[in-house]
Amino acid sequence: MLVEESKRLGPMIFWFIAIAVTAIACAALLYAGRRRVVNGSTAETADANSHFRLVLAGIDADLAAGKIGAEEAVGAKGELAREMLRAKADTGPAASGEIGRGALVAGIGLVAVTALALYGLLGSPNMPTQPLAGRADVAAQNMSLEAAIARIEAQLATNPEDLRGWTVLAPALLEVGRYADAADAYGRVIDLSAPTAQLLADRAEALLLAAGDAGSEEAMGLLRAAAEMDPKHVQSRLYLAAELTRMGQYEEAARFWQAAIDLAKGDEVWLTAARQGLSVAQNDGVDTTVQEQAEMIRGMVDGLTSRLYADGGTIEEWAQLVRSYIVLGDLPNAQTAYDRAVVAYPLAFDRGELDSMALGAGLKLNGDQR
Amino acid sequence: MAAGGDCKAVSIELGHFALILACAIALGSAVGGLLFWRSGQRLSQVLAQASVLQFVLVAVAFLAVVQAFVVSDFSLKLAADNSHSLKPLIFKISGVWGNHEGSLLLWILILVLFGALVAAFGRRLPADLLNLVLGAQSLLVVAFGGFTLFTSNPFARLASPPLEGADLNPILQDVGLAIHPPLLYAGYVGFSICFSFAMAALISGRIDQAWARWVRPWTMLSWIFLTLGIAMGSYWAYYELGWGGWWFWDPVENASFMPWLAGTALLHSALVMEKRNALKIWTIFLSIITFSLSLLGTFLVRSGILTSVHTFASDPTRGLVILTILAVLIGGAFLLFALRASSLRQGGLFAPISREGALILNNLFLATAVGAVLVGTLYPLVLDALVGTTISVGAPFFNLTFGALMAPLLLILPFGPLLPWKRADLVAAGQRLAGLAAVAIFLTILVSSLGGVSISLAPLGLLLGFWVTFGALAELIERSKLGRIPVRESVRRLVGLPRTIWSTALGHMGLGLTVLGIVSVTAWETELVTTLNPGETTELSGYSVTFDRFEQVPGPNYLADTGRFTITAPGGGNKELSPERRIYVASGMPTTEAAIETYGFSQFYLQLGEPLDDTHVIRIWYKPYILLIWIGALVMAGAGALSLTDRRLRVGAPQRAAKPSLEPAE
Repeated sequence: MLVEESKRLGPMIFWFIAIAVTAIACAALLYAGRRRVVNGSTAETADANSHFRLVLAGIDADLAAGKIGAEEAVGAKGELAREMLRAKADTGPAASGEIGRGALVAGIGLVAVTALALYGLLGSPNMPTQPLAGRADVAAQNMSLEAAIARIEAQLATNPEDLRGWTVLAPALLEVGRYADAADAYGRVIDLSAPTAQLLADRAEALLLAAGDAGSEEAMGLLRAAAEMDPKHVQSRLYLAAELTRMGQYEEAARFWQAAIDLAKGDEVWLTAARQGLSVAQNDGVDTTVQEQAEMIRGMVDGLTSRLYADGGTIEEWAQLVRSYIVLGDLPNAQTAYDRAVVAYPLAFDRGELDSMALGAGLKLNGDQR
Repeated sequence: MAAGGDCKAVSIELGHFALILACAIALGSAVGGLLFWRSGQRLSQVLAQASVLQFVLVAVAFLAVVQAFVVSDFSLKLAADNSHSLKPLIFKISGVWGNHEGSLLLWILILVLFGALVAAFGRRLPADLLNLVLGAQSLLVVAFGGFTLFTSNPFARLASPPLEGADLNPILQDVGLAIHPPLLYAGYVGFSICFSFAMAALISGRIDQAWARWVRPWTMLSWIFLTLGIAMGSYWAYYELGWGGWWFWDPVENASFMPWLAGTALLHSALVMEKRNALKIWTIFLSIITFSLSLLGTFLVRSGILTSVHTFASDPTRGLVILTILAVLIGGAFLLFALRASSLRQGGLFAPISREGALILNNLFLATAVGAVLVGTLYPLVLDALVGTTISVGAPFFNLTFGALMAPLLLILPFGPLLPWKRADLVAAGQRLAGLAAVAIFLTILVSSLGGVSISLAPLGLLLGFWVTFGALAELIERSKLGRIPVRESVRRLVGLPRTIWSTALGHMGLGLTVLGIVSVTAWETELVTTLNPGETTELSGYSVTFDRFEQVPGPNYLADTGRFTITAPGGGNKELSPERRIYVASGMPTTEAAIETYGFSQFYLQLGEPLDDTHVIRIWYKPYILLIWIGALVMAGAGALSLTDRRLRVGAPQRAAKPSLEPAE
């Protein structure tokens, strides 16, 4: 509102100042023309006379100081006298007459009109200045999220009914990890406006994040309400499915997973996760995809082990093998693989990063450590 | 809301309006002053007030732009195009005139400043003269203000301002360049006063010594600024462009040098007019020429015809408008001159060998030099435009023609101040200079044998340099009767001498020093280009240079590759030097920052070249007595300032009212 007002007032203020400046300038010009006119030629004559007096004094001073001789001084004075006569003869014809007041006023008025019209043609009176420091877009870019939140919170403290403030604040609080406050903020938004499926799901999300592993009954209620309110609302169904899976209620979870997947168009980022969730729920909590992956890795590692143990290999391959066992959590095999690698590459220098990786995983180091 | 806040919110537009109002007032003044100049004192009072108002308003406009640059208000297109929020404050401010539009605004600011000064100090001028002068001055404001507003408006706005500006050309981000343009412009624009006075004399048909009394201080003031501006620009080019040269006969340098030469001639001819009421028409002609060359200097550069670092505008429309303005102003002035010059009354008479004669000789040589530089600068352009042949008139042409013209001028220069007005005895003056000539010859032989004769003309150059430097002292020695009376008495006389005598001597001495610097650097400069790694050492002219280490240092708005060097002078003593190669973040433009170490009047100049695989190309120069070039210029400017402080305007004390072999002045 304030911005709008200044936008409307800006040009008015500008024109006010511009016209005032023009008026002052015109007044100054008129004032200069109003002053009593002294005889124009007197000034110049006085100027010339004072000049000649100065020169004369200079000649006398030089004579007194002995800088020029008496003869030179007489010559100089003679020259000066000739100058004065010439200057007098030079005085030109008198001015043809003073300019009339009417003409003056007309001229000055014309100047003022010209200036204002020209500005109207060239200027942009409705454009305020925009110093970088005061610009909203730059300020938003430079201000930290915490500072912005603090400002909004301060505003809301004085005006708790400001729906827009709460709407802006809630996701910002979520962003900085203040989940409980975010849940409250969403609560305020719901109170101040009509509850929608999205708002309920948002509040539920904040509550769940605040509760961590403990889960939240209130959140579940909100999610169910949201899913009921909007049969096409995906987010609430996904959260319900995930929470129910975590809680071990696989049958109901599978239903919500399936519902969410049915609502998908096919290119959603969450689709893979939802399919995996569905599979877990259908297998009573066992994630078959994880099992399959582990088996595949196991197979590859076994292949590498037998090849390296039989034929040997580069230090990079040995390091890869040890790393694989460490990742799989199979420390005894990792130790064995490490020991074999040390036999193959007895110099610590050759083993490079292998030793530090082994040390980091808690393996026993042996061989030459130099 | 507070009134101050409101003003700030519309400050740019207020600045825009102030400039427009100033131009409107100037338009009224030009019409009133030039058409109704006989209207007497009331009009002149209004015009004087109008001149002061023009200055105040343009100053407001200028400050509004400065303010926009300082607070990085990129809704002003000029700031968005030429500033950057990370720039140091001084370069934010100097960025205002580091571009076409802003420099025009500065130009106009100085123009109206001079107008206001005439109005302030000229209240006692005859009303007719004042009306015409202020009218002519206002006409210039209208011409260039109109050009600014309609083709190069510094107040153009951007509806959606960018978040960051495009930055000022990095080689212009330099303290030297922050002050160089204002000085140069003060010089150029100051000559507008002489021009306006000349116009007034031609229109009114009246020209007297009051006119000359008035013109000479303005000429002197402009000349001082121009001298400083050119010296500053030359020193900037020397240390910033990294080529180690101090004068390139670049069209833009020539453009500033021509008004200086013409202004120097004007200074001397105005002297004749003031003291002897002679050379009137020539002085008027020189006034017009000098300001015309100033206009060429500022605007030919801007028309896009000359390409160089200074060419900000290459928009053909602007170029055409500028050329039209120049053609109308200069052509109009010369037309007026052709029509009216004959109506001016001839002045005093004098013999060929006299102070007047010497000053005419000075004017002849200077005017011819202007002609030579003008031809050298414009001929390639004209040839290119008419025939399509591209030729290059380079330093050899200028060095040869300019040198050939300057040598005789320097030779006769010390005689000038020793010759009395009206009629003089050359032999007597020669006798008084004989001792100093002997000193100059002795020093030349001494220096040549010590330094070795590297180029054949070096001894001649040295001789001229020493001759002018010491010959300038002749009048001081003469007047103080040094050696003929007790020393204390001589000193007393020296102190009591009129300041104009001192300023003549110092001005000529400054020129001598500059010549000595030029000859010394040209003849004995040494240069070394080599590759160097950190830890290695090389040697030049007895100085050893060690490359200590190489670093990368971030600056406020650039990244710098810095070489750390240690210089060991022949007499011992180490100095750290750090030449840089900078990359400016906003533009990605590289610049080289040479490192310069001063030893007495000589300088050691070190430049870090392109990195070459692992090694670095290093260029090193040893420049003996190079500082004399600029010290000479400073002495000349100082001498000018000294003469401005002398309030005594004297009529020449004649020797005798001699009659034989007198010639008309013109």
